[in-house]
Amino acid sequence: MSRNDSKYFSTTKKGEIPELKEELNSQYKDKRKDAVKKVIAAMTVGKDVSSLFTDVVNCMQTENLELKKLVYLYLINYAKSQPDLAILAVNTFVKDSQDPNPLIRALAVRTMGCIRVDKITEYLCDPLQRCLKDDDPYVRKTAAICVAKLYDINAELVEDRGFLESLKDLISDNNPMVVANAVAALAEIQENTSRPIFEISGHTLSKLLTALNECTEWGQVFILDALSRYKAADAREAENIVERVTPRLQHANCAVVLSAVKMILLQMELITSTDVVRNLCKKMAPPLVTLLSAEPEIQYVALRNINLIVQRRPTILAHEIKVFFCKYNDPIYVKMEKLEIMIKLASDRNIDQVLLEFKEYATEVDVDFVRKAVRAIGRCAIKLERAAERCISVLLELIKIKVNYVVQEAIIVIKDIFRRYPNTYESIIATLCESLDTLDEPEAKASMIWIIGEYAERIDNADELLESFLESFPEEPAQVQLQLLTATVKLFLKKPTEGPQQMIQVVLNNATVETDNPDLRDRAYIYWRLLSTDPEAAKDVVLAEKPVITDDSNQLETSLLDELLANIATLSSVYHKPPDAFVTRVHSSAQRTDDEDFPEGSESGFPESPANPANGLSSPSTARQSAPAYATGAPVTPPSGAPVPDLLGDLMGMDNSIVPVDQAATPTGPPLPILLPASTGQGLQISAQLTRQDGQIFYSLLFENNTQVPLDGFMIQFNKNTFGLAAAGPLQVPQVQPGSSARTLLPMVMFQNMSQGPPSSLLQVAVKNSQQPVWYFNDKISLHVFFTEDGRMERSSFLETWRSLPDSNEVSKDFPAIVIGSADATLERLAASNMFFIAKRKNANQDVFYFSAKLPRGIPLLIELTTVIGNPGVKCAIKTPSPEMSPLFFEAIETLLIG
Amino acid sequence: MGLVFTKLFSSLFGNKEARILVLGLDNAGKTTILYRLQMGEVVSTIPTIGFNVETVQYNNIKFQVWDLGGQTSIRPYWRCYFPNTQAIIYVVDSSDTDRLVIAKEEFHAILEEEELKGAVVLIFANKQDLPGALDDAAVTESLELHKIKNRQWAIFKTSAIKGEGLFEGLDWLSNTLKSGGG
Repeated sequence: MSRNDSKYFSTTKKGEIPELKEELNSQYKDKRKDAVKKVIAAMTVGKDVSSLFTDVVNCMQTENLELKKLVYLYLINYAKSQPDLAILAVNTFVKDSQDPNPLIRALAVRTMGCIRVDKITEYLCDPLQRCLKDDDPYVRKTAAICVAKLYDINAELVEDRGFLESLKDLISDNNPMVVANAVAALAEIQENTSRPIFEISGHTLSKLLTALNECTEWGQVFILDALSRYKAADAREAENIVERVTPRLQHANCAVVLSAVKMILLQMELITSTDVVRNLCKKMAPPLVTLLSAEPEIQYVALRNINLIVQRRPTILAHEIKVFFCKYNDPIYVKMEKLEIMIKLASDRNIDQVLLEFKEYATEVDVDFVRKAVRAIGRCAIKLERAAERCISVLLELIKIKVNYVVQEAIIVIKDIFRRYPNTYESIIATLCESLDTLDEPEAKASMIWIIGEYAERIDNADELLESFLESFPEEPAQVQLQLLTATVKLFLKKPTEGPQQMIQVVLNNATVETDNPDLRDRAYIYWRLLSTDPEAAKDVVLAEKPVITDDSNQLETSLLDELLANIATLSSVYHKPPDAFVTRVHSSAQRTDDEDFPEGSESGFPESPANPANGLSSPSTARQSAPAYATGAPVTPPSGAPVPDLLGDLMGMDNSIVPVDQAATPTGPPLPILLPASTGQGLQISAQLTRQDGQIFYSLLFENNTQVPLDGFMIQFNKNTFGLAAAGPLQVPQVQPGSSARTLLPMVMFQNMSQGPPSSLLQVAVKNSQQPVWYFNDKISLHVFFTEDGRMERSSFLETWRSLPDSNEVSKDFPAIVIGSADATLERLAASNMFFIAKRKNANQDVFYFSAKLPRGIPLLIELTTVIGNPGVKCAIKTPSPEMSPLFFEAIETLLIG
Repeated sequence: MGLVFTKLFSSLFGNKEARILVLGLDNAGKTTILYRLQMGEVVSTIPTIGFNVETVQYNNIKFQVWDLGGQTSIRPYWRCYFPNTQAIIYVVDSSDTDRLVIAKEEFHAILEEEELKGAVVLIFANKQDLPGALDDAAVTESLELHKIKNRQWAIFKTSAIKGEGLFEGLDWLSNTLKSGGG
């Protein structure tokens, strides 16, 4: 074949990609530009054009801004899928970042920040450095944002190259837009790290306040958000800051207004002068009211934020309740939020007006809204004692309309009113009873039954009323059943006549025998026992005076409210949830835990910092093996991720080797593997693992009682196993209460009940207690718990033993996935498991380590590990007189190395 | 075959540009040569991570000159630029005698490329201004240029800093391309 024939293979180009490729390499600029446009078009509709990477990048060096922008767009999209080729673009970025046109400089630096390819980030630092000090403010502000992006890709690089300092310098920039962007970048970086990076000093404070007046609206938002994190030194400084910020309240952009409100609210906490506070409150009302004239969506966001604001400072909007009156055409989500705020703002002064509104709402058509309105009346009654009577009369009027769901809702809130004002409004019970038949919702039914039971002595036909419900007892929902049970007992205690006595028989029988509901059954048994032992005591218990309730529903906890107020104008304040409840910052936290390597923790004598339970879970063997290194030397249980006080608790319990574990700490996940899950153990969960401490083997056990009854009388038995492991003494576990747990260390002995056959890591365990059947579960013996403390060998005897053993005694295995990151840490960890380092040699680029270990009865293990530090793949060879142990050894070494 | 090339180049030199690659090890002076040719002045350069491309007009020929980075990490991507190339300027740092062997290996690897079979080769023995620089004969020897078969080539002593030898090389190149050789 002559050389020209090759064209038959290379020139038969069909299809879009080769065509585009040809056009991209065209001699003509226009053709190239069109080709890039076609590529971008294909990209946007989802076609994979990544194979054209070099051809597109080759069009990058052009004076045509349009073409350049398109190529940049392509790069942002595909650099990640072609990380190696992305390097070809670096030189162009470097050139563009020095272009005479500031637009191109900014474009280059912005695009660079969007290219998340490790290999090239380093090359981009110099251009970024230059752009941060550019003459043009547009370039500087773009570079500032780029630093935040770079920090997300490689935080270390940003810190090493001093970009943080450059950013901080930009806060003093003379251009307000640059200042705002530097603030935004620093704030974002701060959110991704736990170290203090961005702290506003007195000097920067004045810079920010000056820039605030001059920069764009979104820049203002960034600065205000940053300022709200600033802790003023004293009241006067806070006043000064607030004074400078108040003009922002008049801004047309609602984001600016909300951020200003947030900032002022936070600084107000420091202001002591009541006059100033009152004045500020006055100033904040109009802008908040103005927000409510915007589109419904913005209204909703405003209302959610106002909901928080009025919880902290009700005075701000105390006189503005009218703006929260619902308009007929408000969307339902706005109406609901408005109702909520109306309840919060209702006071003795405006209650008449508010009640009129609520009554109006209660006759509207939207069922949910009507219900909420009725509830709102009830909540006002509970909140305002003096208005309670007026509220009740409104409720009664509504009941008379006989609209089913209104009546039901009214009865529910009247029950609450009775609990708030006992013995005040019982005269209306008769009216309520008239509606008895119409009730079909569980909550309304339950409420009515409660009322009947509670006031049985004042209702002549209480027994008849209850009886009518009893007929359908088995079909009722649990909520109603429970109330029926209680009400019947109350009735019986108040009127111990024949009728009620019969009724109580029926109910108790139904509730104990016929039902599967444990709550109902237990409550019935309690009543039964109370009534059968001491009816007087039963009276004291059942008819005891109840505490008066307050309306705290929809009221947020102070700490949560603080957090939400600090997050006004963010999603968090709309959700009413703290940000970490719906945003996860896996990125930074994961890195931090890696840094805190376990050995440091064990040196200080504390079991593992609570910050890294994940670490503890993933490496149970590490945790276990470093236990002997604890300075205390006590038989401490494996680290539980509990703080220091629990360690003290552990120490106090060490005498009988039963360690009561702080109950609150148990559910946080101790690093013992679960062997008997609660689902299998009828609520009993057992976690256990073999450990070695001070030359002795222990079986560390954790019992968690998720049943309804206390468990006691624990016993344990081990089946025959390869090593003849058995308990050295009886299991000592105290009674475990429902919902709590107990932890123990069971000393073990060896060579008791040896099983025959090839060595196996299987350990079969049986546990019983007085309340439950016997539970069986399987554990896995990890060979390294048997490594004795005297396993260290001299170099010479190691060599001698190695030579004396025949080659047939050598077994090896590869662990392709394991990486040894640091030789020192690994040696330390293996030494903690009584695997002793003998020597190390280099073989080409590989490191070869030799170790010795000893099994009981003096069986030596000679170990050779071959690896390239930092790269995956470890080869492990072992030579021993008992090569049948090698499978078990490889299992053990694998867990040790992974740890 | 001569006919094919005549046709090819007659269409090439209408208003089209000749595509030229500037290759060579890192720190050979490729970028300096490019801008010396384009602007006629010496610019300060940093290692090229990627490429530079400029159009150079000389002797009524427009050269589209691609200067590719010479770092070890970038050399594998040279091949992305091989298609449709009419000429290669291979730049050698004549004073860097230690790496002449590597320069030779890279050079012959390029010549093996199928896509560059038709390209003419111009070698610049650069950095003649430096003491200890080998002359063109010595560089010819080191690069084993006598092994080149079926291809037009030439070597010139150059100094990009002083601007010597570059345009002589370009003369040769334009003449060779015009005459349709290859």
